[in-house]
Amino acid sequence: MAAFSTSMTHCPSSSSSSSAAAFASNSCAINRIHQQIALSSIRLTRKLCLRKPSRAVHVQDGASTMKVSPAKNDGPAKILKDGMLSVPPVILPEESIDIASLDLNKESSTVSITVVGASGDLAKKKIFPALFALYYEGCLPKHFTIFGYARSKMSDAELRTMVSKTLTCRIDQRENCGEKMDQFLERCFYHPGQYDSQENFLELDKKLKEHEDGRVANRLFYLSIPPNIFIDAVKCASTSASSANGWTRVIVEKPFGRDSESSAALTRSLKQYLDEDQIFRIDHYLGKELVENLSVLRFSNLIFEPLWSRQYIRSVQFIFAEDFGTEGRGGYFDNYGIIRDIMQNHLLQMLALFAMETPVSLDAEDIRNEKVKVLRSMRPLRLEDVVTGQYKSHTRGGVKYPAYTDDKTVPNDSLTPTFAAAALFIDNARWDGVPFLMKAGKALHDRRAEIRVQFRHVPGNLYNKNIGTDLDLATNELVIRVQPDEAIYLKINNKVPGLGMRLDRSNLNLLYAARYTKEIPDAYERLLLDAMEGERRLFIRSDELDAAWSLFTPVLKDLEEKKVVPEYYPYGSRGPVGSHYLAARYKVRWGDVGSEQES
Amino acid sequence: MATQINPCCSSSTTFSPSSLNQETFFSAKLFNFSRKSSPSRWVFKIHSRINPKNQFELKSSNGYPLNAVSLQDVGPNNVMNQSHLPSFNSLRRLFLISCYHFLLAFRVGAAEKPLAKEVVLPEQTGSSLSVTIVGASGDLAKKKIFPALFALFYEDCLPRNFIIFGYARTLMTDEELREIISRTLTCRIDKRENCGDKMEEFLQRCFYHSGQYNSKEDFAGLNNELKQKEDGKSSNRLFYLSIPPDIFVDAVRCASCEASSKTGWTRVIVEKPFGRDLESSAELTRSLKKYLAEDQIFRIDHYLGKELVENLSVLRFSNLVFEPLWSRNYIRNVQFIFSEDFGTEGRGGYFDNYGIIRDIMQNHLLQILALFAMETPVSLDAEDIRNEKVKVLRSMKRLCLEDVVTGQYKGQSKGGKSYLGYTEDPTVPNNSVTPTFAAAAFFIDNARWDGVPFLMKAGKALNTRRAEIRVQFRHVPGNLYKRSFGMDMDKATNELVLRVQPDEAIYLKINSKVPGLGMRLDRSDLNLLYSTRYPKEIPDAYERLLLDAIEGERRLFIRSDELNAAWSIFTPLLKELETKKIAPELYPYGSRGPVGAHYLAAKYNVRWGDTAGDE
Repeated sequence: MAAFSTSMTHCPSSSSSSSAAAFASNSCAINRIHQQIALSSIRLTRKLCLRKPSRAVHVQDGASTMKVSPAKNDGPAKILKDGMLSVPPVILPEESIDIASLDLNKESSTVSITVVGASGDLAKKKIFPALFALYYEGCLPKHFTIFGYARSKMSDAELRTMVSKTLTCRIDQRENCGEKMDQFLERCFYHPGQYDSQENFLELDKKLKEHEDGRVANRLFYLSIPPNIFIDAVKCASTSASSANGWTRVIVEKPFGRDSESSAALTRSLKQYLDEDQIFRIDHYLGKELVENLSVLRFSNLIFEPLWSRQYIRSVQFIFAEDFGTEGRGGYFDNYGIIRDIMQNHLLQMLALFAMETPVSLDAEDIRNEKVKVLRSMRPLRLEDVVTGQYKSHTRGGVKYPAYTDDKTVPNDSLTPTFAAAALFIDNARWDGVPFLMKAGKALHDRRAEIRVQFRHVPGNLYNKNIGTDLDLATNELVIRVQPDEAIYLKINNKVPGLGMRLDRSNLNLLYAARYTKEIPDAYERLLLDAMEGERRLFIRSDELDAAWSLFTPVLKDLEEKKVVPEYYPYGSRGPVGSHYLAARYKVRWGDVGSEQES
Repeated sequence: MATQINPCCSSSTTFSPSSLNQETFFSAKLFNFSRKSSPSRWVFKIHSRINPKNQFELKSSNGYPLNAVSLQDVGPNNVMNQSHLPSFNSLRRLFLISCYHFLLAFRVGAAEKPLAKEVVLPEQTGSSLSVTIVGASGDLAKKKIFPALFALFYEDCLPRNFIIFGYARTLMTDEELREIISRTLTCRIDKRENCGDKMEEFLQRCFYHSGQYNSKEDFAGLNNELKQKEDGKSSNRLFYLSIPPDIFVDAVRCASCEASSKTGWTRVIVEKPFGRDLESSAELTRSLKKYLAEDQIFRIDHYLGKELVENLSVLRFSNLVFEPLWSRNYIRNVQFIFSEDFGTEGRGGYFDNYGIIRDIMQNHLLQILALFAMETPVSLDAEDIRNEKVKVLRSMKRLCLEDVVTGQYKGQSKGGKSYLGYTEDPTVPNNSVTPTFAAAAFFIDNARWDGVPFLMKAGKALNTRRAEIRVQFRHVPGNLYKRSFGMDMDKATNELVLRVQPDEAIYLKINSKVPGLGMRLDRSDLNLLYSTRYPKEIPDAYERLLLDAIEGERRLFIRSDELNAAWSIFTPLLKELETKKIAPELYPYGSRGPVGAHYLAAKYNVRWGDTAGDE
């Protein structure tokens, strides 16, 4: 297994074969090297970490391609953004670079990460642990500080206690875990304040400056707060706590509005204070290992290239299932529903990556340009092509599972869908007529997220007689299981060994757990690291978001205006049968409920 | 979708439409020379008038009949009871009717030929099968043929009335033969019950007749014994010639003249070598044809009976995902690799006369190549498949000397043990230049494969034992991930590997992202390892082939024109090697073979897949 060696590594490591030794002290680089499964043929042609920001100079970033391009050039944010502009532009032939100067630059710069909404659930469960994991892997710059910001009064020590409860070390690399944790916690601070108070943010700025100690200051704000205070927080952070000599970036979490209009309004407001390239809209599905791998599969394997079109693909399915309901936390959910919560973002993003044309390069703007194109080629979803469902209570094995409307935080007469299936179409040359089915639901019988690519029948199949009456059972299928148990497998027809000629569908498969023993990093780690490195590939651009909303807004309005009653399905079931009829209308069949054994 | 089509079903296959159709056709064909018109077509026409609905069954194309109703028709039902299915019976009836018409037309002619078949239509229970292994005391018989027959019996794949005769020069009693056989019989690992009983039963059906291979009297004696055992039932007879090539023809002559069945079919399985070049092979075919019709000759190539070779066509033709890939547009080269990890080990007498090219390449590897590269056949019937194989073989360029590398192993001491060189084998002449290793590059000059090198490599005394097909795909044009691959783009191409032996497996090497932060690509396998997916033991190739011969399924046997086409590819090269006495490149016993093979691959800008660092 030759490991192809890295380029585009995120970590602040850089080595060409000639200079590897100089960087031996960089722990992240070393880690990466250790990760190599087979060291037999390492060819280090690493892309230098700093090349990434330097690209900002070439403005793939935004402006030229952006629909909503920043018009105003005045705000402090603009002047201060992207400190990398001050870095000597590094445009280099692959191997030769003035490493010393970059390194120097590294030494004198610092990154401050402020988690706004630090006492929230997401912060505790995902953001702090992800930051620690990055630190643990040596992927954070030498000088970094982490600030928690929230309304509660708390001391640094209290924050540290809170944070420390959720930190864990990688299972495969436990040494020094305690030590590392202590070091990490020493870098964590807390600043209490209101989300709409300029003064409080000014105080934060002061504290940040202290820690930055005169170095080039890069600042990342992670907004982990409810949508109604987004704008206020952005306003205060950008006007009062932007970096004066480095970059300032803001990570925003969903929901990004609830329809085209509100999303556009939100974007407009954000843009008053931030430039497009300062906004990092996070969709953590894009950080999942197998979603990342989707493009690799498509574009680095010749064998998939001819197959990737209407000529060979009969349908594509994006499936998301959770095996639990809102469980007393339906307040937020009820206002959005499963279509906004899962389909319009996570599943649609995967669809766009799946279906886009080949980008010019792997740069963020090139990829996002293609995603926008494919989204804009899609037909807005129609009511006929949607099936909605809501779970009802169900008693099994003596345990009573509550209905959605039994949730105390949900209105009794709520019609909010907890399940939806939809058929989408892309009206371009590649995909015309191919149904893209989506299915997402809560309180179903299992938990999974996967992409299933169903291929067409073999025309004039010589073996039809051996297949039986249902030819659908004999089509090839490529399954990319995003979670749990990451796997890729291709269902092929095969002769059952033995005398005679009996066909059988078996899997050519790659189960990640069997092939890769290392723990797969959490999506948030990747995304945080990308944001720090200015890698925007996995973040959603404003025009992308616009395009995504315009597909779903009409149907969402329809559903709400017509008060369409969802089909009820028992908690823990396979969801409403309506979804089968939807699939049947387009002459396809959901792959996840096939009778055959899944591996 | 598990439609069971098991040939085991048809202990009654003698009467299966396909076999009847073909046999009768061939007996018809034999007389074509004496009549200007095409009698077979004439009869078909008559028949179709009589039975217009059935017309489709009797059309012929390419001079070979289509088995319009093949075994596969039998349907998705219980294996053992298929012959009782109404559909099958009705089809059979239709066919029996058509055959009567057919026979009526050719009765007269049929009697002229010594072995021309008389097709009779007895009740299933009234027919018997006799398998005679000529050369019963030989190695192949003991190691492969008897065990395969037992396995078939054990799996209930043999008809109810069958007997097995060993025939050889050695004087032996039935008991002695049984004693010899019983030593090599084993039961399937996954189904051990009654093994002892079954063995006993099987041995009771085994008999021995001693005789010379060229003695008509001795074969007449065998005939008598067979008749006695057949007990008046209509008899089908299968002769398995497991004897050296120089006595092939004699044995065929005697068997056909003296021991042909008068009431059923007579078929002869012939083992390689089928000659040693185009001329000798043609000569052998001519001699065989003096006594046998084409459809009585079953040239066995046991590689065609291997599970994954059988599966090759299934993969190609029943999976849409492979269809667009199967051409020069996507495939960069294909490799057929055979290696053994032992030498001639004191048994080089036969081998030295043939060499690795004749022993492995011209038959096993070339057959696999033909299956791999052929166009889609009209159907899965034997004649259709073999027609396509002949076509692709005939589109191949003759092999030329520059595209061949030969090698011979030399002695090697390793870990205190010394391994003998090829010429140190006492049965091999000291100055032998017979290749024990060869690598070759072939080209198929047709629209699908123009310019794609098909590499073959076969050798003895190498570091591993394996047989596999490797399909290397082209580079991704304009690969976005180029930077992630390092310098050697060859390491990043997709590759489909079918491992025929050992440890049957199919895997597809794909590039995927190494999990973790950053973007590092790695080649990982989408794989199917048979032993994990299919816990059942895979039957030996000989079982499948014997069963096919019994059932008249010719798909996996080599037709005369195929053999001819195969020899024409190799004969000029073989002659040149021998007349120029090209010295093989010596390689140490247990090594990876001569490095010349790499230069041959390099000449066509490819790289052997089996010696990459990642295996």
